[in-house]
Amino acid sequence: MMGRVSAVALNTFRESIRDKVLVTLIIFAVFVMGSARVIQPLALGEEAKIIKDVGLSAITLFSVLIAVLIGGRIVYREVEKRTIYIILARPVRRWEFILGKYLGLMAVLVVSLVVMTAAFIAILFILGVAPQLYLLLAVLATFFELVVLTAVAVLFSTFSTPITGAVFTFAVYFVGHLSRDLKLLAAMSPSPIVKAMSYVFYYVLPNLGNFNIRPEVVYGAPLDPYALLLSGLYALVYAATLLLISATIFNRREF
Amino acid sequence: MLTEVTPRPRASGRAGPLAGILPTVLIVWGFVGAYLLQLSIDRAGESRMREKAVEEMTYFPSGRFLQESTIEFQSLAADLVWLRGIQYYGFHLMSDRKYEWLGHVFDILTSLDPRFIGAYHFGAITLAWDAGKPYEAVDFLISGMKANPMSWQIPFDAGFICYMLLRDYGRASTFFEVASKMPGSWFILARWAAIAKAKSGDFQTAREMWLDILRNTENRALKALVVRQLKNLDLSEAIDLLQKAVHRFQEDRQRLPTDLRELTTAGYIARIPEEPFGGRFYFKDGKVLTTTPPSQRE
Repeated sequence: MMGRVSAVALNTFRESIRDKVLVTLIIFAVFVMGSARVIQPLALGEEAKIIKDVGLSAITLFSVLIAVLIGGRIVYREVEKRTIYIILARPVRRWEFILGKYLGLMAVLVVSLVVMTAAFIAILFILGVAPQLYLLLAVLATFFELVVLTAVAVLFSTFSTPITGAVFTFAVYFVGHLSRDLKLLAAMSPSPIVKAMSYVFYYVLPNLGNFNIRPEVVYGAPLDPYALLLSGLYALVYAATLLLISATIFNRREF
Repeated sequence: MLTEVTPRPRASGRAGPLAGILPTVLIVWGFVGAYLLQLSIDRAGESRMREKAVEEMTYFPSGRFLQESTIEFQSLAADLVWLRGIQYYGFHLMSDRKYEWLGHVFDILTSLDPRFIGAYHFGAITLAWDAGKPYEAVDFLISGMKANPMSWQIPFDAGFICYMLLRDYGRASTFFEVASKMPGSWFILARWAAIAKAKSGDFQTAREMWLDILRNTENRALKALVVRQLKNLDLSEAIDLLQKAVHRFQEDRQRLPTDLRELTTAGYIARIPEEPFGGRFYFKDGKVLTTTPPSQRE
């Protein structure tokens, strides 16, 4: 079983790593991180903070773009090119195919994160800011976020076109970062229906705010390791649930 | 004419663990697991909520920066800051009653959306009464008057703070006059301008002003603040009444009353007024006091 999953994953990885979108996005991310050099003279003593902010935000933003743009067409492409018939004609179960696709894309994202983080550390050195290991925790939290967001992208990819899937995934990304406001709305709303709906959305939609620890990391504020561990666990459980839904939907499709 | 139909190639791989009810059960359990984990994350976060609230405001960039970075969504960003600001206010109202960043929040808000009259109104009243920064509140309102020269609400609020807290009746009268000349303003504003000019700071006028604010707002937090202020006014008026009776008693009988009940038995007051916060009035060293601590009256 794992052999079949890893074969799909390896194939997805090989295909996606050659994708021009991926290369372009990574180059652009490095360019944005390097642009902090232009801001440096205007920062009035806050250079280190701004360089770290720009770098970590670029890593997150461009990783999210990679997950959405590549993940959004990952299943659709196989259907469109009809290669799905060849794959599923072999002894590969549909859920193994979905899991393999997901893991392949996650491997691509890990490589992208490593490349962008290495570029970020190099830029910190070049600009004379001492890189701290602590900053890597923000990258780890971004990885957790990508675990969830890639599962969202794969889910939409199983039943929609790449553009629709990308729009839906971006919508989930934005709402996922506003879930604190949903909880606030639930707490403040006098209407019991609005209250109940807000709580349902708060707990059902992915809470991506759990993974935003960039302000704490940049300011060197203390982090709760237990909360970080829980966030990682949350990402795993949530992604596994979404992959299960994806596999169920994919299982019902006629090919 | 018969055409040959080529059957679509049928892919396999459908059987296996995803058949039957198992996936639905697993998906439900997945969401239950995510729900339980989110509860734990929220609980872990709540213990640090106070320091986080302050940290958050420190990290909140300036309104001018946000104005540039939110491109065409400034109004939406202002709405989000408004929700966060109310959360910040509510949290401190229920806990330590320290509002260190309240001015900063409303400054951001009105930089993003300078026509957000409700933000000036709520921001100035809470800054003046809850945060105890009436001068900052008036400065905030003056910046609002510059951005909204046709609004009567903003100069009215500035006049109200000058009248009630700063006791600067001349300035209050000027603000009320400016407000009364704006389109759609309350007809009573001209009267308030005259009252402020005459420097009369009686309880009844103050009560009417607060009641007018109460009638004119839908903001629940502001309504709660007005109700507190009205109770404070009742308290001050009752203490004033009792204190005057004590003075009269002392002048007539050359001694202090043994307790407040003696004022009623001697006919100086008809009855001891009700303490609006649920406490009771008492008499110590010639002064009328209440058992309700100041922390419960603010």
